[in-house]
Amino acid sequence: MRNPIRDEVAIVGLGSTGFSRDAGDKSCKALACEASIAAIQDAGISREDINGIVASNEPGGVSPNQMAATLGISDVTHFSSPTAVALFSLVDAVNAIFSGSCDTILMYFTYQRLPWNSRSAASDPFRRYSNLGTVVPVPETPNPSAAYTAWASRYIHEYDIAREDFGRVALNMRANAARNPLAAMTKPLTMDDYLNARMIRDPLCMLDMDIPVDGADAFILTTTEKAKKITDNPVVIHAATVGLVDKNDEDQLPDLSRHGQHVVVETLKAKSDVWLDDVDVFLPYDGFSIITLGWIENLGWCKPGQAGTFLKDHWDDKRGSAMINGRIPINPHGGSLSEGATRGSGHLREAVEQLRGSATEDRLVKDAKTALIGCGGFFFNSQGAILKRL
Amino acid sequence: MNQQIDDATLVERFPYVKIDHDSKHLYRGWLNKQLLINKCDDCGKFHHPPKPICPSCWSSSLTPTEVSGRGTVHLAMFLRQGPAAPDVDYNISPHPVTTIELEEQQGLRFTSTVINCPLEDIKIGIPVELTWIERFGAPFPVFKRASIKEAS
Repeated sequence: MRNPIRDEVAIVGLGSTGFSRDAGDKSCKALACEASIAAIQDAGISREDINGIVASNEPGGVSPNQMAATLGISDVTHFSSPTAVALFSLVDAVNAIFSGSCDTILMYFTYQRLPWNSRSAASDPFRRYSNLGTVVPVPETPNPSAAYTAWASRYIHEYDIAREDFGRVALNMRANAARNPLAAMTKPLTMDDYLNARMIRDPLCMLDMDIPVDGADAFILTTTEKAKKITDNPVVIHAATVGLVDKNDEDQLPDLSRHGQHVVVETLKAKSDVWLDDVDVFLPYDGFSIITLGWIENLGWCKPGQAGTFLKDHWDDKRGSAMINGRIPINPHGGSLSEGATRGSGHLREAVEQLRGSATEDRLVKDAKTALIGCGGFFFNSQGAILKRL
Repeated sequence: MNQQIDDATLVERFPYVKIDHDSKHLYRGWLNKQLLINKCDDCGKFHHPPKPICPSCWSSSLTPTEVSGRGTVHLAMFLRQGPAAPDVDYNISPHPVTTIELEEQQGLRFTSTVINCPLEDIKIGIPVELTWIERFGAPFPVFKRASIKEAS
């Protein structure tokens, strides 16, 4: 499979506000600026070096033209605002740089709690505008957030899955988040806590669902050629793709054995020189625990229906989380379930932190060369990427 | 008959959905307590939710066709919180939301709820049949557990 972008574009700067349940009086734009300035400084470049801006179309997010106006970035030759979930933006940024639309990109993601997922946000007058629309749905409306629970019921039905299998996903993320200073949720979690947590939509409970937060992530991307001149530790995008099947209306998905994640896996595998045996850090999406179990199985770490058992078999009691084959952590930053609902930018940031060796010592994978990201869910935001240290 | 009501009235009758030219037949059907699913006049395949062309053969000759209303529960969840409806009280009981695989075609599904059935009996695989309730003053399609005979 053609993959001309292989190792040609690098991430050279990171910035993050960190994540919390409430960023106080900071607007989305303030958070985006804070992360973006940190990323530009981290890359050791100036704003004059940036001629591309890639946003993410989050509700209440900040448009690229507004960011250019706020940060004083001029003469921009590529700007876009791809659909939310991080690797849509990454793929766009890589393609724009590789094709010559621009040379150096600021890519940023902002997140804020919204009236529909946070009670405190619902009472914030400045967030009223971010209602979903004038149409208020009925409980029976299939939508992506409920549909993951619906398909979890099918997964349990087909494979006779225990709640503990879902619980291990939540426990893994929480234990790892405790080693990440940016994380929102670090209080230790036990299996009893999981089993007794408030049910939201049976069969899933509160701890199966990512945690709404305020915060922002930012990245600087440029050509690998330029990256080598400005940093000693460029992290390159080895392969990146998104994946979609035709029957992607949530309740019409034929079954769990072939959906967007499978398209991603087949494409990523065909485009990459490396695969599971080479992976040092594994970053599966965890907006819902069922998505993580899906990635573990669909990437081929284990057979369908076996992800819970896989986590159990590879559990490291001392760390309180899984270590595949005793060496590969799963979301060492704590994922969306515990770092905060970053819709994948946290996973991408952690891949870079691990590969360039800037993650905190207690979660750092020594000499990591390859990171595998399985991002997004089953329906219309499946994505994947392999990042490498040069 | 409700078939003749104008588009503006149709939209007013269903304030909780975004109706467009592709889906208007579905909701006009509800007013007559008919579940009309798009069927392709050329290749005979059903599809749902309603689209402007047949996703299989691209024919734009589609007929909203009344289905039997019989099917089996394919997905089942129980909401403890969520969007409001006058007949749903999350404080009294979790609300079942079920995706029903309709008997007309494999993979053809409709999402609604199952009424008049103990929650513990609402399981994947059980046979159900269509019935109607009133929601915000208009008919709303739901399902009830079918007897074994009816499900055959």
